[in-house]
Amino acid sequence: MKGVTRRQFLRSSSVGLGLGLAGGLAGCAGMKGDFAPKSGRRVVVIGGGWGGATAARYIRMADPSIEVMLIEPNTEFVSCPFSNLVLSGLRTIESLTQPYDGLRRRGVKFIHESVTAIEPDTRRVRVGEGYLAYDRLVVSPGIDFQWEQIEGLPAVKDSVLHAWKAGPQTVELARQIQAMPDGGNFVLTVPPVAYRCPPGPYERICQVAWYLKANKPKSKVIVLDANQNIVSKTALFRAAWQAYPNIDYRASNKVTGIDTSTRQVRTDFDKVKYDVLNLIPPQRAGAIAVQADLVGADKRWCEVDHVTYESVKQKGIHVVGDATIGLPVPKSGNVANNMGKAAALSIVSLLNGQAVPIMPPGNTCYSWVSDREAIAVVNAYKIENGKVVQIEQKLTPAQSVSVAQRAEGWRQSIWADMLS
Amino acid sequence: MTTRIGISLAIATLALVAALGAAEAAGPLDDPAFARVITCGACHGVNGNSKSDMQPIIAGLDVAYFKRQIENYATGKRLSPEMEPYAKQVQFLGVESVAGFFAAQKREPTPLRVAPESITRGRAASTPCMACHGPDGRADVTRLVPALAGQPPGYLAQQMVLFKIDTREPSESLLLAKKAIMRITPDSQFPDLAAYYSSLR
Repeated sequence: MKGVTRRQFLRSSSVGLGLGLAGGLAGCAGMKGDFAPKSGRRVVVIGGGWGGATAARYIRMADPSIEVMLIEPNTEFVSCPFSNLVLSGLRTIESLTQPYDGLRRRGVKFIHESVTAIEPDTRRVRVGEGYLAYDRLVVSPGIDFQWEQIEGLPAVKDSVLHAWKAGPQTVELARQIQAMPDGGNFVLTVPPVAYRCPPGPYERICQVAWYLKANKPKSKVIVLDANQNIVSKTALFRAAWQAYPNIDYRASNKVTGIDTSTRQVRTDFDKVKYDVLNLIPPQRAGAIAVQADLVGADKRWCEVDHVTYESVKQKGIHVVGDATIGLPVPKSGNVANNMGKAAALSIVSLLNGQAVPIMPPGNTCYSWVSDREAIAVVNAYKIENGKVVQIEQKLTPAQSVSVAQRAEGWRQSIWADMLS
Repeated sequence: MTTRIGISLAIATLALVAALGAAEAAGPLDDPAFARVITCGACHGVNGNSKSDMQPIIAGLDVAYFKRQIENYATGKRLSPEMEPYAKQVQFLGVESVAGFFAAQKREPTPLRVAPESITRGRAASTPCMACHGPDGRADVTRLVPALAGQPPGYLAQQMVLFKIDTREPSESLLLAKKAIMRITPDSQFPDLAAYYSSLR
């Protein structure tokens, strides 16, 4: 959601300027020095996705005397969960796009820009040519890609689609799939763990295979998975794929290179020709987390306290969502939402000199395996000796319409829990 | 927090809140249970007032009924892949406290609207249900009967199926009469009954 194309960034920035001015904040041109001086207690939130939007909302709910400023280049929220249904034509991207009006009504102040730097020692974030002071900072940067891990990819990264941040790339990939001639090969590559949304690639395979089976019966879905097996809900996806003989799944086939001139991707063993390519590159925490030295020695993910989500590397900075590592939880929207709440209530407690409550997360994760059936995995956690520990994981016994109906209910409720 | 320390902490918190004076509006964090329900809202909605069709409204639910369902989910007597792990989490956090939190929330009936013809058919078919659910679908806490009025129709219809096929608390004597009625009710009537009870206020 945060890694946008240059064109989209410029577009949302100019819209952001207008809204910023209307909200009493200077736009980019006026962002010099301390452009919004802090009067009371202030939390700055970087990133308006599942983690950041939730954190902003819950801080305002728990203590409206705390000022919350949310910095997010995009002017609207676009949901990654359910965005695979755009590829099969079952949903529009518009149906997954929500305004931030509910958060504004709660008094969250938006700046539709990108943060250029974090200065932990002075407790400031840099935006434009100016800065904002904070008492505590929430960093919910999502993911960015390690383009350099695949030979030839950095040079063509703007034209090779990942569609792993819902938005213009999702729409473009859907268009390419629809335009592909019958008999063409759709190639999807799965990155090695850890990556955003473990079951996401496999749900995507179901959705594209469902669409191709109905519309382009001679076409195939070729999957090059860097992992040894389906990473999540393995048996349920295997069962679902029985309905799609057009899936050619190749485990332990890590993509190592790409050549767009011959329309080929390379693995250690093979060259695979594609008509439409969806290359999901290896991932790491969003760029600002790396730049601000919130990541570990591997320069990929952020280690945090399991109760407060405060960075183990920088005091006063709480990291939530897909950028975190070290908890036994998947990188899912539901977990990011729960982390956002726990970070928010920790911050409110700390700013008020109160004890921080124990708030273990949960994970409810639905995957659509056809146009009307879904499967789910659910994980609940507790906290023992300051660490998050799984209590139990449960899977739905089979795919069903009823699970899909519950998925719709979850989507509706959790969007309201972030944005209303 | 089941210990005396927990209780004295709660008393200390109350004293602190009182000392701060009533001028400050009470924030949700003043209720320690608020931090124990953060995973629930993702499906059951803000303060347990689900707006969706399949997830039940748990705001205003009777404490004894709530606790019984958590127990049933945790032990698998009420089968739900979603609720079994979360029920165990609620037990870890303190079922009494979580049940008390939702019981204290103001219940908002489902915003979902159903076809008037379906409501009419459902009302006509509801006579056998009245013995326990009364004329208005309200809760009867003395008999662990939950309120049906205003629950989402999709949830109600699904529960009727689960009672009929006896996967909800199999062989529980309290539910024998209910299941007997569901068994002689044709499946086609469930959406109408659900529509009727969801429309009650």
